[in-house]
Amino acid sequence: MSTTSSEQPRPDVWLKTKDSELYINPLPVRIWHWLNALGFVALILTGTQIRYADMFNVMSFETAIKTHNWVAFAVIANYFVWLVFYLFSDRITVYHPELNFRKFFDKAFKQIMYYSYGIFRGAKSPHKVLPYDKFNPMQSITYQIVMLLVVPVQFITGLMMWDIKRFEGIIEMAGGLEVVNTVHVLIYIFFISFTMIHAYMGSLGHTPATHFREMFTGFEEEH
Amino acid sequence: MVRNTSGVRHILGPFLIAMLSCCLSNALLAQPAEEQSATDKPVSKVPATEAGAAAQDTETSPEIDPATKAALKLEETLKQNGKCLRCHNRERTKLLEDGQELSLQVPKEPYVTSAHGEVKCVSCHSAIGKRKHPSKSTNISIASERAYSVEMNDSCRKCHRQKYTQYKGSVHSALVAQGSDKAPLCSSCHNPHAPVSMADYQAETGLPCKNCHENIFDSYSSSVHGQARINGNTIRDSHIQAPICSDCHHSHEVTALAIGDVLRTTCIACHENVTLLHNQWLPNAGTHLDIVSCAVCHAPFAKRKFDIHLYDNVAKVPLTLKEGDPPIQDQLQAIADEGGDGDPLEIWKSRSGIGGEGQAADISLRSRMEVMSGVAAHQIASKSFAVRTCESCHEPGWRQKQNVTLSVTQPDGRRQSFEADRDILSKSKAIESISDFYALGGNPSKFLDILVLLSLAAGIAVPVGHFTLGKMINEYLARGKR
Repeated sequence: MSTTSSEQPRPDVWLKTKDSELYINPLPVRIWHWLNALGFVALILTGTQIRYADMFNVMSFETAIKTHNWVAFAVIANYFVWLVFYLFSDRITVYHPELNFRKFFDKAFKQIMYYSYGIFRGAKSPHKVLPYDKFNPMQSITYQIVMLLVVPVQFITGLMMWDIKRFEGIIEMAGGLEVVNTVHVLIYIFFISFTMIHAYMGSLGHTPATHFREMFTGFEEEH
Repeated sequence: MVRNTSGVRHILGPFLIAMLSCCLSNALLAQPAEEQSATDKPVSKVPATEAGAAAQDTETSPEIDPATKAALKLEETLKQNGKCLRCHNRERTKLLEDGQELSLQVPKEPYVTSAHGEVKCVSCHSAIGKRKHPSKSTNISIASERAYSVEMNDSCRKCHRQKYTQYKGSVHSALVAQGSDKAPLCSSCHNPHAPVSMADYQAETGLPCKNCHENIFDSYSSSVHGQARINGNTIRDSHIQAPICSDCHHSHEVTALAIGDVLRTTCIACHENVTLLHNQWLPNAGTHLDIVSCAVCHAPFAKRKFDIHLYDNVAKVPLTLKEGDPPIQDQLQAIADEGGDGDPLEIWKSRSGIGGEGQAADISLRSRMEVMSGVAAHQIASKSFAVRTCESCHEPGWRQKQNVTLSVTQPDGRRQSFEADRDILSKSKAIESISDFYALGGNPSKFLDILVLLSLAAGIAVPVGHFTLGKMINEYLARGKR
């Protein structure tokens, strides 16, 4: 598929052309990504303030809760920018899973080896970033789990706690408020390291700035 | 005075009777209508002309005018009561079995001008009739003033059926039924021989509630409600009366407001926009109003507690024990004592059998934030002093710092509480039963805290480690080349 897309560019409303550069991230993806990034950082910080009110006093508990709630709603709305864009554009292929498991594991292993050793030796990434095949197998599977499972669960548990009375029945079905809260906190814990590692791995492109630039402008140089 | 004139009366007696008989026979011949008023009907105190006219009406029309009938009945009552008051207006006492003296005096004023002045004495004192009046030879034995008041309490029902029924459903009546010698009877608040209307109660004095609940009334007096009442309701609009005892607790169906959400409902009855106002700033306002008693925030200096109560999941109300259920004290005390080592709900079920396996009741534990005492619950401060800092509850370890009580509503409607070990909320065995006792930020979990630290460490270690590894590999390979 990647070979096809690179050899025969598809007609795409989001496809722009630039000499020797590929249009990897269309505008909706970039808007969603950066709003999401800001939102997640704000949610992690306010979440930390809420959970550890005795250790940090950056803002009052009330402000932390209210900020957390408003940002969360913005992030939920923003999630639909991502969802609608990929559901209604053929760029959804970037998430297509590799149904051939052997091929998937083979590519994944090569990618791990690249990040473990090859990258330090100046080797080229085994995965070539293309508009319709943006993610390496590990990114593809991770982002799908995150966007289709982890993030929605975080939204749902957060919504339940935003208005406990309204979602009383669902909370009861889920095993009580403490269970809901524990799930929410576990995902928060996951996102602490995810956000930091994600930002670091963003610097592992051809140059440290390659992927950051790509996320701002949408274009990445062909290598 | 009677004693001084008794001799004269003895001599003049036959003469007066003869005179009276003569006058009566003349009157019977001359005025047939008057004969009726003087014999069959009570003597009317209304002006003679009116009485005469009324009497003529009764003679001419087969149906007696209801107003006239009532007036005549009243006259009869006053006449009969007058006979009783002739003696009982004076100071006299009766020696009771407990050695105390019971005053038998019923001062004519204010009795005759009171609402009860139109009621025959024998309506209440039915055991003491014309031919049944106790004398030295037929003395009635009364154990104590309290015992006599309890015995007489039912007589109020004859006329005040609705109020009496309300009273019978009250916590006061329940206490009387249990043998309390202090719980109020009708006569504790309403002097039966000098009853006053509601409007005449000087509510600001706290009477009659203050007689028993003095500490609570003092607490109320210094509250925003009490002060508003004393200052002529200047805090709120003048058309809204600040509440006095009976406004929240009712006059006759007196309830303990701490039960369920009765308190909230009572507060909202006046502060009707309270949900809207809290929604404007308080996250999860509905839940807060459900599980936090108003006084917890609005009596800012009150000590708080975590009250765990048994909840009937079928009826969706706090569990009220039924008559015949096993006595509650031992079970609650056991949970309070042993709860630190076990699941309070399981202890309850195993000891009481209620809500256990094979039982119809589906019972769980629920909790509310309450203030520690009834005195504290009345110390409602002005809104500007209300607790608004979320951290007062939402802080790590909050749950472990709270006073804890276990309580249940008894068949008589009273809530009985027992202080429990604070550890009851933090034992792993109780996790399932207390899973709803959650306060954001107040439920620390060391396991989750360690995971947070590990995640943070991984977020730092992975980039730093990967970067460092790359440097080391490059250096190693560069050294090898050299």
